[in-house]
Order: sequence, then structure tokens, then C-alpha cells
Amino acid sequence: MKIFQVALGILAAIGGFVDIGDLVFNVSAGATFGYQLLWVVVIGVVGISVYSEMCGRVAAVSGKAVFDAVRERLGFRTGLMALVSAQVVNLMTLTAEIGGVAICLQLLSGLPYRWLILLAGVALAIVVWVTSFDWIERIFGYGGLCLLVFAVAAVKLHPDWRAVSHGFVPHMDTESPLLYAYFAVGLLGAAMTPYEVYFYSSGAIEERWGPKDLSLNKVNAMIGYGLGGFLSFALMIVGGALFLGKGIEPEFLGSITLGAEVPLGQVGLLLALVGILFAVSGAAIDTLFSGAYNLAQFLGWEWGRYRHPSGAPRFTLTWIVLLVLALGAVMTGVDPVQLTEFAVIFSAVALPLTYIPILLVANDRAYMREYVNGRLANTFGLIYLVLIMIISLTAVPLLILTNVGQN
Amino acid sequence: MSRTIDLGLLLVDHQLLDSEKRRCGNVDELALEGGPGEPLEVVAILSGPGALRGRAGRTGRFVAWLGGGRTVRIPWDDVDEVAAHVKLRKRAPTLGLGRGDDRLRPYIEKIPGADR
Amino acid sequence: MRTFSSFLGRMVVTESGREIGKCRDLRASLGRGRPRVEAIVVGRQGWFEHLGINRPSARRKDAVPWNAVVRIERRRIVVQDGTELE
Repeated sequence: MKIFQVALGILAAIGGFVDIGDLVFNVSAGATFGYQLLWVVVIGVVGISVYSEMCGRVAAVSGKAVFDAVRERLGFRTGLMALVSAQVVNLMTLTAEIGGVAICLQLLSGLPYRWLILLAGVALAIVVWVTSFDWIERIFGYGGLCLLVFAVAAVKLHPDWRAVSHGFVPHMDTESPLLYAYFAVGLLGAAMTPYEVYFYSSGAIEERWGPKDLSLNKVNAMIGYGLGGFLSFALMIVGGALFLGKGIEPEFLGSITLGAEVPLGQVGLLLALVGILFAVSGAAIDTLFSGAYNLAQFLGWEWGRYRHPSGAPRFTLTWIVLLVLALGAVMTGVDPVQLTEFAVIFSAVALPLTYIPILLVANDRAYMREYVNGRLANTFGLIYLVLIMIISLTAVPLLILTNVGQN
Repeated sequence: MSRTIDLGLLLVDHQLLDSEKRRCGNVDELALEGGPGEPLEVVAILSGPGALRGRAGRTGRFVAWLGGGRTVRIPWDDVDEVAAHVKLRKRAPTLGLGRGDDRLRPYIEKIPGADR
Repeated sequence: MRTFSSFLGRMVVTESGREIGKCRDLRASLGRGRPRVEAIVVGRQGWFEHLGINRPSARRKDAVPWNAVVRIERRRIVVQDGTELE
């Protein structure tokens, strides 16, 4: 029975792995550099597993979520900086996700975009209000599994498998190193999205994880994200097989779905749209709640989905306000795909501010007792700390130097 | 049985829980009494936007103004335990904490399904 | 009444003017009754020590006992000559 539960959890994690940032960056990277950046995705997937496992362990043992740790470890002033930057990036990401949902709905129904934005917003609000936490994860997670159509498409497109396997070996064989670096940073930023971690750690506390759940935490993090990484590979392979050298930049979600339509026809297109719809909607909900969790945790308010809206009024108001703000932003006509690029780059910049407190708390015996980071966790933890600092510092310069990935 | 802690690390900025385990703010500041040559003791926890005024310079003052400037003083006698969170002996409303949530609750409750 | 944050950042010096370090925390004993401050924690904590890496929780010498404090000035905390970190 337990194995069944675990398997279901993993399935939900796979389906929930991909969000609009992953869609955009993985397919674009494939379109621009073929299979050469596959190795970067591996690094990103390992990174998010390491980060999540630590956050899950910190939450289970110390009862603290990410922004509890940020407040306690960075103090009020620096912590506030971390909070503000996280909220700004969160809101950008949420806006892009909701825009993505509206585009999907438009591709599926043909109804006008503006109305679909409202529909998306209202539908998300109702789902969140009425449905319980775990059902939300299930519905959107399983729906996201439709994205496996891209894995099938990747195979059906008969890519040069030798070139694909070569892509898993770290190398840089290009005349545009800056653009290559930009995509590398973007792929890492898209894989290690902070809001996933905020949501995961708050969820662990909502579900009252304790030390006995720690092995479940590890399995969830590693297998779930690991397999989710396969979807990213599939997206990049499809991008490479279909768009490389053809001068097609997948600037529209519609172009991305071509990746499934060309090899698999209408069925492929439909599955791709449904998969994207569920995956991006699920991501929107996670992002929305992350914003509310972060603010409430930092300021010490009562929070939680399990508390019922009347049990956590300010928390509830926060997510309602965030949703309205995001809807307003999408209504201004901003291009969700363009916005996604900025959102991913800026989350890469802000990543150290929330990673460092977790690394600190995970090493603190006063909080973690015998569950502190061991040698392995710290080796990975420190390697990724260095990596995260590097991408944080280079993200904006690369954004500017490559003219947002156009070069 | 006593233990020694660094106040900034294990007390300040930590979450407050009331006697019913409700989250009701953070330890934003500590009030101490005493001086050179005599014992220096923590007499109260201060919580609320106003308590931030003395910390974090201009940022603190701005946030204090934004939040309405209230400070709640919790005498140390009302502290039950300092563990992962700081547990208090009384309910939040008795201590003057969690007012933001209490004032907002009637509006949220008007929306159907708010207590599901 | 003093606030905790009013202590932070003040330079700890001996009466003869030797600088020991800036106050970054207060160490107190928790037991029955109110926490009693036992020492002023001084100086910057190294990053690796803060991460607790490869260092058992052996006490570093980073604090000045409270009973060595002579007076508190606006920017400084003055302690007796001959006070050492412990």
C-alpha cells in the first residue's frame, strides 16, 4: 500500500515537473543548439533534487519552511531583500503561467484570449478554494503526464541518437559561447525554480512530516524530479530534431506543440495541449501559493491550505491579491513566452538568497539534531552553492549581452 | 535545568505560537533590564511592526510605518518554552497578538466555503 | 529598559582602549525565570564555522563575560582591562 502511495506521488511529481519556463527554455535550447545542452539539464535536475531534499528535511525535522529559515538566518533587513525579490520573481512567473494557460485554452477552444484570461483566473481560484491540497496535486500532476507525448514524439522524430548521447557529455562546441552560456543559465534557472521549493517545504509542514517521513522525502525528491527531467530531455530533443537549423524560434506555445503534432498528428497536438494546460495550471497554483506562503512565513502570520481560509485570513487575502495582480498584468497584453524568459533569468539571480539560509539551517545541529547534513549532502550542497552564485552573477549580464537570447 | 543560547540565533526572529499552537507573529525584538555590575535579563518579547523600528535602520522604520506601528509587549512570564518555535502560555487574543487575522476573519468568512 | 538590537554593532573595548570586537549577539542562560545574559558575543563568525562544516560543536572563543562590563556608552561597551575572549 505504501509503495502504491509513493508511486502515485512520483507520478504526480513527474507531471508537475514541467512549467512554462521549462517548456520555453528546453525547446528553444534544442532549436538553437540541438542536443548540446542536454548535460546542463542533468545538472539542473540534480540541483533541484539536492535543494528539495534539504528543504524537505529541514521542514520535517525543524518544522520550518524556507521563509521561516530566511527570516531567522538572514535577519530582518537582508531577509526582507530576499522576500521582496522572491515575491517580484514569483509574480512575474505567475503572470507568465496564467498567460500560458490562457494561450492553451485559446488553442483548444478558439475563444478570445482576453476572456480566457479571466476564465483561467476564476477557474484557478475556484479550484483552489474548493479542492483539497492533495487532490490538486493529483489532478494537475496526472494531467501533466500527457506531456509524455513529447517523449513519444522525440522517438518518432528519429533524432540522431549518437548526437543525442554526445549532448550528455559536457562540452561547448559553438561559435556563440555567450548565447550558449545564456541558455545554460536559463536551463538551470528553469530546472531549479525557487517556487517549487517554497511550495514543497510548506507542503511538508502542512502534511506534518516528521523524521519518519525522511526517506519518503528523499525518494520523492530524487525519483520524482529525476523522471521529470526526462520530460525536459524530450522537449529539447524535439526542439533539436524539428527546429534546429530551420530558423524557427519557438516563440509561441503553438510552435512548441508542433513538436508533438508533426510526428503524431492531431492526437499528438491534443495531448500536448492538454498536458501543457494541466502542467502550467498546476505550476500557476504552486507559484500562487508560494507567494502567500513566503509573505506569511516571513511576517509570522498563520498560514496553510489545511487551515481553511477562515483560519488564515491574511494568508488567504494574500493569494487572492496576488492572483488579481497577475491577472491584471496578463491583461496588459504582455507576451507570456517573452515574460517567461525574464522570469527564469531573474529567479536565477535571486536563488542564492533563499538557498543559503536553507544550507545554513540544514547544517545547524540545534535545529536538525542528528539529521544535519552529512558529508555527501554537504559536498553536493556546497558545489551547488558555488554554481548558484555563478549563475546568479552571470544571469543578467548574459541576458543583456545576448539581447534576451537573440544574439 | 538550564541551557545557554545565543539570543539572536535562537530567539529573535523566531515564530511565536500561542497556547493553542496558533501562529501569531515573530519575536521582533527583546526588552532587557539591567546594566553593568548587575544582572542583565530579558524581561519581555516585543512583537509587531512597531518593534521593528529600532532594527534595520531606515528599512525598519519604513516597515514599521507601513504596518501601522503597533508593538505588542509579551512579558517573559507568558513564555512557556523556547524550542524550534517560541511557545506562549496564553491565547493570542489575550496577549494582543494575531489581531490582523482576527480583524480580517469576518470578511473572509462571508465567502461561501471559507470554513471548508 | 534596553532593547536587544541596541546592543548589536557596538564596539567592545577595554578601559585602556583596546578593541576586542563588535557585539553581534548576546549569550544567555535559559532556565526557570527570565533569561539571564551571561556573555556578549563578539566579532564576525566565519562562513565555514557558521555552516558548521567539519567542526564539532566545540566552543570557539568568541564572547566576553557580562560581569566584565564596566559601562555602556552610546557607541561602545567598555569592559575591564585584562578581559579575554572565552
